[in-house]
Amino acid sequence: MDDIISIKGISKSYGLTRAVDDLTLSVKRGEIFGFLGRNGAGKTTTIRILTSIIQSDSGSISIAGLKNHQTKEISKLLGVVPESRGFYDWMNGLEYLTFFASLYEVPKEKIEEKVIRLLEQVDLLKNKYKKIGAYSRGMKQRLGLARALINDPQILILDEPTLGLDPQGQRDIQNLLQQLNKNGVTIFYSSHLLDEVSKLCSRIAIINEGKLVAQGTIQELMENTKSQTLTDVFLSLTNSNHD
Amino acid sequence: MIKQLWLKEIRAELYTWKSTLWLLIASLLFSFTSYLLLTNKELSLLDQTELLWLLGKIIIGVAFLIIAIDASSTITTEFEQETAESLFLSPISLKDFIVGKFLASLTLWAMIFIIAIPYIIVASSGSNLALPFLVYTAILGTLGIAGLITIIFGISLLYRSAKNTLTTALVILLAFSIPALFSSTLKTNTVADFFSRINPIDNIFSSLDNVLVDYQTSLLQNVKYLLPLLIFCIVGWVFLVSAAKRFKKEGVIKND
Repeated sequence: MDDIISIKGISKSYGLTRAVDDLTLSVKRGEIFGFLGRNGAGKTTTIRILTSIIQSDSGSISIAGLKNHQTKEISKLLGVVPESRGFYDWMNGLEYLTFFASLYEVPKEKIEEKVIRLLEQVDLLKNKYKKIGAYSRGMKQRLGLARALINDPQILILDEPTLGLDPQGQRDIQNLLQQLNKNGVTIFYSSHLLDEVSKLCSRIAIINEGKLVAQGTIQELMENTKSQTLTDVFLSLTNSNHD
Repeated sequence: MIKQLWLKEIRAELYTWKSTLWLLIASLLFSFTSYLLLTNKELSLLDQTELLWLLGKIIIGVAFLIIAIDASSTITTEFEQETAESLFLSPISLKDFIVGKFLASLTLWAMIFIIAIPYIIVASSGSNLALPFLVYTAILGTLGIAGLITIIFGISLLYRSAKNTLTTALVILLAFSIPALFSSTLKTNTVADFFSRINPIDNIFSSLDNVLVDYQTSLLQNVKYLLPLLIFCIVGWVFLVSAAKRFKKEGVIKND
């Protein structure tokens, strides 16, 4: 499998704080790639650099052969559920997805069909006329996922997509992601829910204080660290047990 | 994409009653002023041209104030409500974003102007000033407000906070409008005269005076007032472009 995302030596500092430090990693086409780290490890900064929301101080990124300055082309390949979960509360679910479909230049005659299909997929069809302001947290998460899928992305980048969801909501999202992956979508999955990651991801990377500390399959990392579970791997590599 | 953003902005203004409220306030103020000008004993003694000039100043003043308040939150809301990130994850450029928002703010000015039309026509009845009054209010207002919006949007991109942007916008508006209300005897020294020449609000009021009181209605006769307004717009755009460059460098999300 070829690399669909290739990150080479990116760094980003905020004043004296080095959020990402010379990070290099690659994601293969068609895999679900887990991106792990403690709070403040630099996961969100990496995702924001990857999605061109912020610029790195150094290093380079290539997404499906496109360089990071080709932001418009890259954004058409990506579907992103970002960490910030702002919505236009005055819109309803149907209007919201229709607006984003028009931004992605989905042909006018296909918008309605596509939006309805996505609302059905994330189980929000019954609430399509309800104002987003009245949605629960879980409903907003699912709507955010539907928005990320509006352009039929090749790569889905998710920053803590199941945060705050009840177990049923988490399972629904996991099932949907597995289904999307079966259909050929590459998934870059950032989380610190290790059970979820071990269930979904074929390979993972762990970062600590902005630096990559490990990358490989879960099995490889368990062998390398002589650990029994992913939690043990994570704790041994991030030194969390000393906190 | 500019069109989609523009329409979204207009719908946001209407759905959240923001624009509707401003338009209601504008129409109440215009009604109250017109009623006062036409019925108040002292004010009704004014010459009709003076009365029209006063009405013109009020229309422009109210429009500037409403646009300053409204435009201060147009861009900053996207950051404060955390909607900017999802918006910039789509293929829109910063230019599309700014132009879409700019058109929405200009639309609000257009709506205020449309509300003012009946008042202008009624107050001008019996004279042949209705058409020049309408044309010059449209030209002068559009130029002045376009310049004001660019400055406010520039500040919004730098601050990303509605409160800070609004405070700065109101200070700028006060700095322009208070000297414009001074009588000409207070503008005799060089500094005051210079400020009066570059002040957009002063130039709008002087041009309206030129058109309505002195009946100098050709563009050529008003070029000395229109030119500073045009320069004001250009300076505003330059400021906005430099603020946009800095914004790009900092990224959509300033700090993690």
